[in-house]
Amino acid sequence: MFRNCNLHNSCTLGKIYLYMKLLRFEYSITILYLLIGGFWILFSDKILYLLINESSRLSEFQTYKGWFYVIITAIILFFFIKKHLNKRRHLEKELKEFQNLLEKKVKLRTEELETAIKHLRETQAQLIQSEKMASLGILTAGVAHEINNPLNYIMGSYVGLLRHYKENTFSDNPEQVGKLIDAMKIGIDRSSAIVQGLNQFSRKSDSYTEKCNVHEILENSLTMLNSLIKQHITVKKDFSASEIVIQGNIGHLHQVFINIIVNAVQSIESEGEITIKTEDNESDISIAITDTGVGIPKENLKKITDPFFTTKAPGEGTGLGLSISYNIIKEHKGKLIFESQEGKGTTVNVILAKSMNHEQESKNYLC
Amino acid sequence: MSKKVKIIYVDDEEVNVMLFEINFSVNFEVYSGCSGFEGLELLDKHPDVKVVISDMKMPKMNGIEFIKIAKERYPEKKFYILTGFEITEEIQDALQSGLIQKYFRKPFDIHEIENTIKEHCDLQE
Repeated sequence: MFRNCNLHNSCTLGKIYLYMKLLRFEYSITILYLLIGGFWILFSDKILYLLINESSRLSEFQTYKGWFYVIITAIILFFFIKKHLNKRRHLEKELKEFQNLLEKKVKLRTEELETAIKHLRETQAQLIQSEKMASLGILTAGVAHEINNPLNYIMGSYVGLLRHYKENTFSDNPEQVGKLIDAMKIGIDRSSAIVQGLNQFSRKSDSYTEKCNVHEILENSLTMLNSLIKQHITVKKDFSASEIVIQGNIGHLHQVFINIIVNAVQSIESEGEITIKTEDNESDISIAITDTGVGIPKENLKKITDPFFTTKAPGEGTGLGLSISYNIIKEHKGKLIFESQEGKGTTVNVILAKSMNHEQESKNYLC
Repeated sequence: MSKKVKIIYVDDEEVNVMLFEINFSVNFEVYSGCSGFEGLELLDKHPDVKVVISDMKMPKMNGIEFIKIAKERYPEKKFYILTGFEITEEIQDALQSGLIQKYFRKPFDIHEIENTIKEHCDLQE
């Protein structure tokens, strides 16, 4: 009977314990304190009366009972709080370790990301360079021919003058000698212009504040592409009457125009025309390059400035030309607009801001 | 050989034509034109021309295209290309099919060209 009761008691205590575990600490500690205090008040005196018969010693034992109560509750509360706090401390420690681990991981990932970004930037720079080299490859064959022609002038003059020097061949026609000398000068000027054009294209400058003469850049690009432009293609120049000078990067603008003109040439299968029209507007300038080539299908028109988009066979084009051109024009605060009709041709409109004038204006305004 | 050998030179660049005329007129009688069309006219006008030298890259009709038409009309004449390009497939084919005898490179070597023409004329005589 006693045993059963004990069992029963421990069951309810267990239930209470479980229930308290679910409660928040402040509730459970209050309930615990109330329970102990309540039971103590209810039963402690009864027990004391049962055990002690002498009323004279009763008050003495009352004091002991008080002390006993205080010590017991203190011990119980001590262990209860300790248990709770230990759990807390343990959790905190774990949390801190976890936090440290997380921080380490984040740092590691950030470093990884930073290297990845650095790597990407390097690759991008390499790609831009390789696209430039690819264009340079197209140019080289043409430029070789372009230089051989003026060299031919110089050679012709040399042959004639040498003969005249040795045999007095043209003493009856002195004007022939003059023609030979003039031809030599033309040959030298032309080869030097081509070399200068190449230098303009391959110059390494990141400045966007160079003075760019747009007509000069277009002429230069055409000179370098002269031999690529097939014999059945007519190039029409419809340039604005006045010179157009804007602020930008000379080398990069060459890259853009060479790219667009090469595309135009390649789009013309047999006979055709390329028209280059420049306009000097109030706030911007526009350069429209129109070809009578095969045109671009509508579904491709949106994709042509995507990196690596190409309709050429693998290995024949990097697919970066227009993507890089687009970025260069964006750097110039300009716009690149494509209009195309399949079978009729394409117009590429390059709009460039007159950035320098803007800055001057605003500066003047500020003054 | 008191009479000079007649040759035709076709090139779209004026300076090249002028220099060719000055230099080759010393030993040959040179007729020159600025396009394949002019070359064909000259061939019709001067039937006793033996040698034709043409530039390769010209607008509308390139050197090989011009020579193809000319060779059909005048198969007995000898044709040559003078070009600033490295040898192309088109020129290679023309050499192999016997359309042209040889191709000269710019800048030209006057001795090479003169000797080639002279050899050709000696062979014919």
